[in-house]
Amino acid sequence: MNSQIVFRPLLRLHSSWAVLACSIPLLMCVSGCGRTPAAWFRPNMVEATKQRLSADQERQVSTVMLAMFGTPDAPLAPPETGLDEAKLQLAAGPVRSDIVGRKNGLYREHCAHCHGVTGDGLGPTAAFLNPYPRDYRPGVFKFKSTERSDKPTHEDLVRILHNGIPGSSMPSFALLSPPKVEALVEYVKYLSIRGETEIALMRAFFELDDEAEGKLPETREFLVDEVLTPVAEKWKSATDALIAVPEMASDLDLAASIAKGRELFYGDKANCVKCHGPTALGDGQANDYDDWNKAIVEVSKEVKSGVERAGETSTADMDSEALAEHRNNLAWLDKFGRVLDGGDALRPRTIQPRNLRHGVYRGGRRPLDLYYRIHAGINGAPMPAAKGTVPPEEIWHIVNYVRSLPYELDGELGADRPMVAKDRF
Amino acid sequence: MANDNPSGGSSKRSRLLGIFWSLLFLAVPVLGVAVFIVAPWYDIWLPKDVSEHGKAIDGLFMFILALTGVVFIATEVLLFWFLWKYDAASATGPAKYIHGSHAVEVIWTIIPAATLLFLAIYQMNTWADVKMRRPAMAASVEVVGRQFEWRLRYPGRDGTLGTPDDLFLVNDLHVPADEDFLVQLKSMDVLHSFFIPNLRIKQDAVPGMKIPVWFKATENGEYDIVCAELCGWGHYKMKGRVTVESRADFERWLEKMYAQQEATQPEPLSAAAGAAVALAQ
Repeated sequence: MNSQIVFRPLLRLHSSWAVLACSIPLLMCVSGCGRTPAAWFRPNMVEATKQRLSADQERQVSTVMLAMFGTPDAPLAPPETGLDEAKLQLAAGPVRSDIVGRKNGLYREHCAHCHGVTGDGLGPTAAFLNPYPRDYRPGVFKFKSTERSDKPTHEDLVRILHNGIPGSSMPSFALLSPPKVEALVEYVKYLSIRGETEIALMRAFFELDDEAEGKLPETREFLVDEVLTPVAEKWKSATDALIAVPEMASDLDLAASIAKGRELFYGDKANCVKCHGPTALGDGQANDYDDWNKAIVEVSKEVKSGVERAGETSTADMDSEALAEHRNNLAWLDKFGRVLDGGDALRPRTIQPRNLRHGVYRGGRRPLDLYYRIHAGINGAPMPAAKGTVPPEEIWHIVNYVRSLPYELDGELGADRPMVAKDRF
Repeated sequence: MANDNPSGGSSKRSRLLGIFWSLLFLAVPVLGVAVFIVAPWYDIWLPKDVSEHGKAIDGLFMFILALTGVVFIATEVLLFWFLWKYDAASATGPAKYIHGSHAVEVIWTIIPAATLLFLAIYQMNTWADVKMRRPAMAASVEVVGRQFEWRLRYPGRDGTLGTPDDLFLVNDLHVPADEDFLVQLKSMDVLHSFFIPNLRIKQDAVPGMKIPVWFKATENGEYDIVCAELCGWGHYKMKGRVTVESRADFERWLEKMYAQQEATQPEPLSAAAGAAVALAQ
């Protein structure tokens, strides 16, 4: 009897109300919550703050960049860059199918979550990765077939996409069709040229003469001939800087070569053990930084010491000019602190010299790849170039020794056991 | 009180609502069966089977589908029938109460139990073939799952894994057709699952374990390798490709890849482009 009094009013709910109540949330789920805002290129705040640019100067640079290079959805390639705009169209913009059913927005689909929409290595997953994803903006690339300070060739970048970088989170894109790989490589070059131009513009403020009144000249002569062309030329001339690799002697006695390589590895000329360690485990030293992290570390130090000095300075005896300067300095220190902490830069990490016993070679495992790494060093990393110090045949000996390292056991102790690479997982 | 119409409103409206809901429930088995019938035409059915043990596995699948399908249809039709016939708007008589029937309960427990027991025993042989009766051979390849790719290591000419002549590749598995093929499956970081749908092969890659996986591919072609165990943000794109080809083609391909791995000179431009095209197709 009592339960009837409780349940009856509830049962009076009409089925039609139930249908209505269910369909409204369903409609909301289907229609979504609104349009995604368009992607935009993030300005290089580290460089802007390093150069102590004012907000107005930052705006000038952004305006020029927009006019020269467009947006992530609508890229522009100035003809001096030699980039193919059709390929850029395939890679740029949101993921969608074009009028003939081809997939567009390849960069955003495959690359942007690590490398960032701006190619600054600040994508959403970047902070979780070790090593960090590449920041294309300085235009420095590690694994290539050209001399140390030169750009990678087109084939170098295709190879990286094809093989990935073992030992890092860069995956292999071997299963992408060649036109897609070409589009992505073109877009990476575009982002790199764009980043380098932005840095050059930001640095140009200090070379302006007085009559420019702190404004970048918006003349073709300045923007294209003085700023853009040197950047673009370096990319175009990458194939002129290919490392000439002499043939390895065909009658080479491998065991003798490995023995010679070992001598060189431990010798003073190549001095590999200094960083790679006395047993090539990569434990020689751990205090150095690669160029991308070094830039952040140096700036952090500058900010830290600046904050200390500012704290110690007494403002009591300052005149108005000195006071204004002091306040500017504090504002700049604060701004830079926020840039470093606020997501425009990742926390800097030291770089570990490679553990050569693993048999994992980031830039490729061919003897040729190891030759490139030793000859030219690794651009952007502390690995020095052996060019000039170590003659080519001797580089081959070092290559052969390094390739034998994962299979080498400790001296005499392992001499009677078969050479098997240690299972590390 | 039993005669009360709790839905309120006219009796006809309630009857219509009753018909609506019972037909809605009937739509479940009808649409369900319809989807299964048209599935092959819409390519949402089982992927093409190119393995030797796949026939037994697919046979078991169809048998279980038929058995459970019959039970499903019978149960759903019964449900519809009760909804239709005993709708409160039309069935206004008093409800009948019973104290249960022991005999019926025994029957509807024993029959499903027997069926399940039969199924468990019926499939044991196939399970053993796929998971327990490892062919006596050395590993043909070592597959290491890694976030988010499949790293492969072929043993090379000496047939032993872990020697300097090993061939290292990523995501590009080649298999000779009509031969037993033994994979040594490992993981470099987290749980992955090595899944080749067309070969009816699926095995979790467990960090710290070396798990053998074997199959015999019967037809040439290219098929997908996908990851079937959530392993991180890139799990959805952790795809590889398996190419089944003749033994001669397989050997040729091994030689070519090994030569590329041992290159001491850069490839001429056209050859590199050609190789990239061939590999990416």
